[in-house]
Amino acid sequence: MSNKFLILLLLLLALVATAGAQSKKPKSASAAASTPTTNAATNQTIALKGGKLLTITHGVIENGVVVMQNGRITAVGGPGTAIPAGARVIDVSGMTVYPGLIDSETHLGLTEVSADRMTNDELEPSDEIMPHMHVYDAFHAETAVIPVTRINGITNAIVAPASGDTLPGQDSFIQLAGPSAAEMLTVRDIAMPLNFTGQQRRNQSFESAKFPFTRMGMATQLRQAFIDALDYDQKLAAYEKKKSSSDEKEKGGAPPKRDLKLEALLPYLHGKKPVVLSAEQPNDLLTALDLANEFHLKVILNHVTHSASLVDKIAATGFPVIVGPIYEQPKEDERYDAVFKMPAELAKRGVKIAFASYDAHNSRNLPYAAGYAVAFGLPPEEALKALTINPAQMWGVDKDLGSLDVGKMGNVVVANGDPLDVKTDVKHVFIDGQEIPLVNKQTQLRDQYWK
Amino acid sequence: MSRRSYLSWAMLLFVCLLSALALAQQTGEPQSAPAFHNDVVIKGGTILTVTHGKIENGSIYIHNGKIAAVGQSVQAPANATVIDATGKFVMPGLIDSHSHIALDDDVNEATNPVTPHMMMKDAFDYNDKMIYRALAGGVTTSLLLHGSANMIGGQAIVIKHKYGLGRDEMLFPGAPQSIKFASGENPKRVYGQRNQLPSTRMGNFEVMRAAFTEAREYMRQWDDYDAKVKKGDKDATPPKKDLRLEALADVLRGKLLVQIHCYRADEFLTEMAIAKEFGYKIRAFHHALEAYKVADKIAANGVAIATWPDWWGFKYEAWDGIPWNAAISAHKGVRVALKSDSEDVTRRLNQEAGKAIHYGLTEDEALKAITLNPAWIIGVDERVGSIDVGKDADISIWNSYPLSSTALVDKVLIDGDVYFDRSLPGYGLTHYKEVQ
Repeated sequence: MSNKFLILLLLLLALVATAGAQSKKPKSASAAASTPTTNAATNQTIALKGGKLLTITHGVIENGVVVMQNGRITAVGGPGTAIPAGARVIDVSGMTVYPGLIDSETHLGLTEVSADRMTNDELEPSDEIMPHMHVYDAFHAETAVIPVTRINGITNAIVAPASGDTLPGQDSFIQLAGPSAAEMLTVRDIAMPLNFTGQQRRNQSFESAKFPFTRMGMATQLRQAFIDALDYDQKLAAYEKKKSSSDEKEKGGAPPKRDLKLEALLPYLHGKKPVVLSAEQPNDLLTALDLANEFHLKVILNHVTHSASLVDKIAATGFPVIVGPIYEQPKEDERYDAVFKMPAELAKRGVKIAFASYDAHNSRNLPYAAGYAVAFGLPPEEALKALTINPAQMWGVDKDLGSLDVGKMGNVVVANGDPLDVKTDVKHVFIDGQEIPLVNKQTQLRDQYWK
Repeated sequence: MSRRSYLSWAMLLFVCLLSALALAQQTGEPQSAPAFHNDVVIKGGTILTVTHGKIENGSIYIHNGKIAAVGQSVQAPANATVIDATGKFVMPGLIDSHSHIALDDDVNEATNPVTPHMMMKDAFDYNDKMIYRALAGGVTTSLLLHGSANMIGGQAIVIKHKYGLGRDEMLFPGAPQSIKFASGENPKRVYGQRNQLPSTRMGNFEVMRAAFTEAREYMRQWDDYDAKVKKGDKDATPPKKDLRLEALADVLRGKLLVQIHCYRADEFLTEMAIAKEFGYKIRAFHHALEAYKVADKIAANGVAIATWPDWWGFKYEAWDGIPWNAAISAHKGVRVALKSDSEDVTRRLNQEAGKAIHYGLTEDEALKAITLNPAWIIGVDERVGSIDVGKDADISIWNSYPLSSTALVDKVLIDGDVYFDRSLPGYGLTHYKEVQ
């Protein structure tokens, strides 16, 4: 082999190596959405040392240690906890360490500029019954909004369609970092929203009137859809039974025509997945609960903002509740704090509550809503649970998320104070055991202009 | 007992209590302004004065609705009403320099891009519960502005949140008159959709220049007429009085504080150039999400900004909004106020100020951003916005450090009188009687 050839080969190798390295770097802020720059070794062991650990499930550990390895938490304990050799040790003394926060309703990845219709995929308004819409089909992993959200410690979220339809589609559960949409959409079709707030009526004017114009119309339309789905289910079952029949005469026949809309409803009518039942005022809540009861739905309640008079009844159902938005205005005759107090009133009665931002651009403010509920009587530890372990349990992901426990995913946040306070600044975010750079479109503009 | 009937009973009980206290009550009628509690002392709290630091375990003496003394201890008559604020935080009432509450749906006269002669007072719904809800969040003064559909909108009112009093008792006496201008996407959307001028930013600014050019001509005609009259010309005929042009002339005469809805860096520069061309001053840019890009130029022109700490992305001109806007702008010498422009946020401006600290504002600047700086924008900084002797006794008392997620307003005083008290049943209002 000639020297010339060797040099050429080396040069080529070097070129390939640099190109490879460069392709891993985010080219822009939006690219950073889907590809967080990770430590060179993605499997690097990380140890957070000296922080105040809010474990959620087993109290507070002062001067504690959290170890993350291969994307999982491998140790949580006091100052004596063993740190594996070769680990990257991050001194977090004086800091607070807590599990990544979970936002139980967002439109992340479905919107970029709210007023620009072409950048919005939040709702399919052509019909009220659209259970076959899947947010994962629209989810834009490279959105600039997700990196803005996660640097405030939100690591997981429900992505839901907007609430303008009775059944607007199915939610997905996401991780706020990952190589692409495929990895970020950790649970597809995790739940189905069922909205019964009056906002779904097509009653803008008599001139443009369209069914359902009233709540009666909404409820009847929904009931018919469920009945149609159950009917479809029976036909499917009958066909399956025939198909497997030993009697040759019975066998055969055409399967029922496949109907994606009705098919989408079946896991919910079978009680296999939760329906997120939204109502605000007492009459709507009662009607929605009647419907849920009639069709044996597995329920997570949502909003209940103006149903203070039904808190005992809500508690008696045993259903968990996504509370809020607590910033919604009270009704005309309510005291100024009627809505602010709802989380405290529910939690006091043993209801499992979770907070949601119901937003995208400012989903980062999720912990402050919980903080405001604390101002109005919610114990701080309950507020923190309502951002972590409660939603993890409600969404069936508590094996992986919601607390600082060995075996759970390395979704961990380090901040310089109380997670619920507006003044607190997040210093480190780990998702899947990897440090997420605290960089986004906004920090880049800040750094460009703050000189 | 249902919640509603409980409330009614509580209110009834409360009303009886008030009657017993011999306060005037007229069913369904606005209450007359309360007689000043001549002497009130707020004792024992941590006072955030805004202008001269923090006073631990301090006292404020209020005489005839004004702050008469502030300090570690104050001289007050023995019969003064004492409000014990031990363990609490005392600060000026909060001031919202951008609000559209209490205007019902009458925010935008969106039929012409130049409507400077619209008077928000004509639409002021003084019974709107939003005035109460903001009061319960510590707000004592708000600037109620015309909307942003028009390049030149109407004239604002300044209110004090004396919920329960009549319309005129709620207006801030002697506050200067502000006028609302807009720019950017809203006017071009509103008129562009109708295929009218303006539908672009070129059209936006042309509409403004045309209006002021017309106003100049109108002023010249009046000047000519006045000169003729002065010379003793008895045949001189006055030009036709035109409310729209009168209002524009008032802008050019410097009689109105100009409040401009504006997002984009280039538009701040154009607005300032037009103001220079026609010789009027801009008081503040509102929203001002890109102020951080040209903060030095805004500061050099003596223009303030009234912004949110973190709103962004809701439209294209808000795409470059960053939560460090307030801090960068303040750092470069701009007077910064945090405002609501929202029925929700006006109830928790304290949280917004706390959030701005998170994004780099100092505690002093953050406090000013919801008190003295918005007072300056409204033109009432000599009257309110700090705990200083001689100022109106507009004071909020909090159960803990106010610039946080978890602080609650305990009491709010306006002109030395308590208007909100959280410990009271019902609404917590002292001058409001529920109409049965």
